[in-house]
Amino acid sequence: MPSQERLAKGPVAVFECMQQIPCNPCADACPRGAITVQEINDCPSLDEELCNGCGVCMTHCPGLSIFVVDYTYGKDVALVKIPYEFSPLPKVQEIVDALNRQGQCVGTAEVIRVQTSPNKTNIIWLSIPQELAMEVRSFRLRKGNIVNPNDVIICRCEDITLGEIREQIAQGKHTLEEIKRACRSGMGPCQGRTCAPLIVNEIAKATGKPVSEIPLPKFRPSTSPVKMASLLGGDKT
Amino acid sequence: MIKSADIVVIGGGVVGCSTAYNLAKLGAGKVVVLEKNYLASGSTGRCGAGMRMQWGTETNCLLSRESVKMLSHLPELLNVNVDIEFTQNGYLMPAYSEKMADQFKQNLLLQNSLAIPARWVTPEESLEIVPFLNTQGMFGATYCAEDGHCNPFKVTEAYAQAAKNLNVEIYTDTEVKGIVTKNGKITAVRTNLGDIQTDTVVNAAGGYAKTVGRMVGIELPIFPERHEILVTEPVEPTMGPMVMSFYHNLYCQQSPHGSFIMGIGHPNEPESYNIKSSWQFLRDMAERIVEILPPLARLNIIRQWAGLYDMCPDRTPILGNSPALTRFFTAAGFSGHGFMISPITGQLMAEMVVGKPTAFPIQMFDAGRFERGELFVEPSVV
Repeated sequence: MPSQERLAKGPVAVFECMQQIPCNPCADACPRGAITVQEINDCPSLDEELCNGCGVCMTHCPGLSIFVVDYTYGKDVALVKIPYEFSPLPKVQEIVDALNRQGQCVGTAEVIRVQTSPNKTNIIWLSIPQELAMEVRSFRLRKGNIVNPNDVIICRCEDITLGEIREQIAQGKHTLEEIKRACRSGMGPCQGRTCAPLIVNEIAKATGKPVSEIPLPKFRPSTSPVKMASLLGGDKT
Repeated sequence: MIKSADIVVIGGGVVGCSTAYNLAKLGAGKVVVLEKNYLASGSTGRCGAGMRMQWGTETNCLLSRESVKMLSHLPELLNVNVDIEFTQNGYLMPAYSEKMADQFKQNLLLQNSLAIPARWVTPEESLEIVPFLNTQGMFGATYCAEDGHCNPFKVTEAYAQAAKNLNVEIYTDTEVKGIVTKNGKITAVRTNLGDIQTDTVVNAAGGYAKTVGRMVGIELPIFPERHEILVTEPVEPTMGPMVMSFYHNLYCQQSPHGSFIMGIGHPNEPESYNIKSSWQFLRDMAERIVEILPPLARLNIIRQWAGLYDMCPDRTPILGNSPALTRFFTAAGFSGHGFMISPITGQLMAEMVVGKPTAFPIQMFDAGRFERGELFVEPSVV
């Protein structure tokens, strides 16, 4: 944990890594050489004078256990950068519920910036009251801000949403075969590999039947797409 | 389950649902539809989804012309909110011999006399309609711009919803086990869920119509025949019309969704309830389609399946009462074109069942025509 003096100077990384496991991507990631992992099973140690709080280490930590805290961000507010791998991402200026290490809501935070990373460890910058800066380590989107589950795509080949599936179930179609014919779910190149289990869950929820009692659809060839040209020529017998 | 009904329709395909809706609309009393699996699970849901008016007999021309008229505004006609994906991008039917060209031109005379806007096109004109068509060996083609496509599941759904709105009861997962008769009259239909008392049955069981006929000791000259079909990945709209070649015995259409749907007829396909897919079909289909539509070689096939044609010896449906048993009506034997004429078929069957004069004379399409030798041979079937 950085010292009070260091925290007062500006942004600095906060390691909440307690597990002694063989892991050191943070040390390699730091452009200033501020992080050391002595033995591979040791927890990292930070040279807080070398650290400038850039946050590169955050996106490399597979355990999402590094944060950046900046007490100099505002008069009463601090900036806390949090690694975040859920979707959807919040929007800038959105107000979210600030959560402590136990996942309890301890206040509200404003989203200052959303840094997306190609490796999916995105960094969310939160502005929170200073007294919560060493407490808040996660956040929750507020109900109204969350994407309507009915808009979630269930069949990715044919762009069928959960809402459309639920509508078919509500109309009395309680098998994958009927739902497929009504809205094309499972008719795409993957032949239902992704959507079938999801739709079965929805049918089970709606009908109260166990998943094991929802009949599987007939699987039709081919197992994977076949190029027409590859069928040409060859032996006829 | 209901204990008695005025009319029991056997088969929840498009013909059964259309007939049931029309019966209810004519005030025929309590109408029940019995379906062994789910709606459109048989031939309807497995068909190529085309609709054409280019036929070789007057009846088929009339039935399809009236059906296309109805399909063009079916949701309004039935007062339901179902998009049936009705599109009119035409049918192009190339001829590859002088004899075939003569037959087509004869058909055109008949079609034009019935106000069906089909016309003869040269190979060059065909290329304007399908730019990547291989016209080698082509004498020309017939083309009707008002032929097209409809989604069979949605059309069935539309009729089923409209029928339910008129208090028709539709039982899916309900299998007919037998039909009880007494003194030449029907008394009940036996199902796996119990008996339904009734004196009137409409056999709309498609490929299984013969089996249903045998339940009352009637041998219908309908036989099931497997036809295979495949669908490709969806791509940008590139081909407007259905291309249907009797020479290659194939049809191929790009659906509004973007996928190409195609099938071939096999001349030696035996009578059977077999609906298994075969790898031979994939090879034969690919070879033939790439010959006349070369760019399709680049497409990925994503699924194949098979369904039954309910074949009649003259490839014209049986629509009618059976002389041996009163009030046993059959609407089957569509020989591969039941879906596209289902709207008018349902209406005609309903009119016949309630004893109204039918919109067209259809009494000659009863099953007795085969004994009388009065056949209506349809030449234009794949």
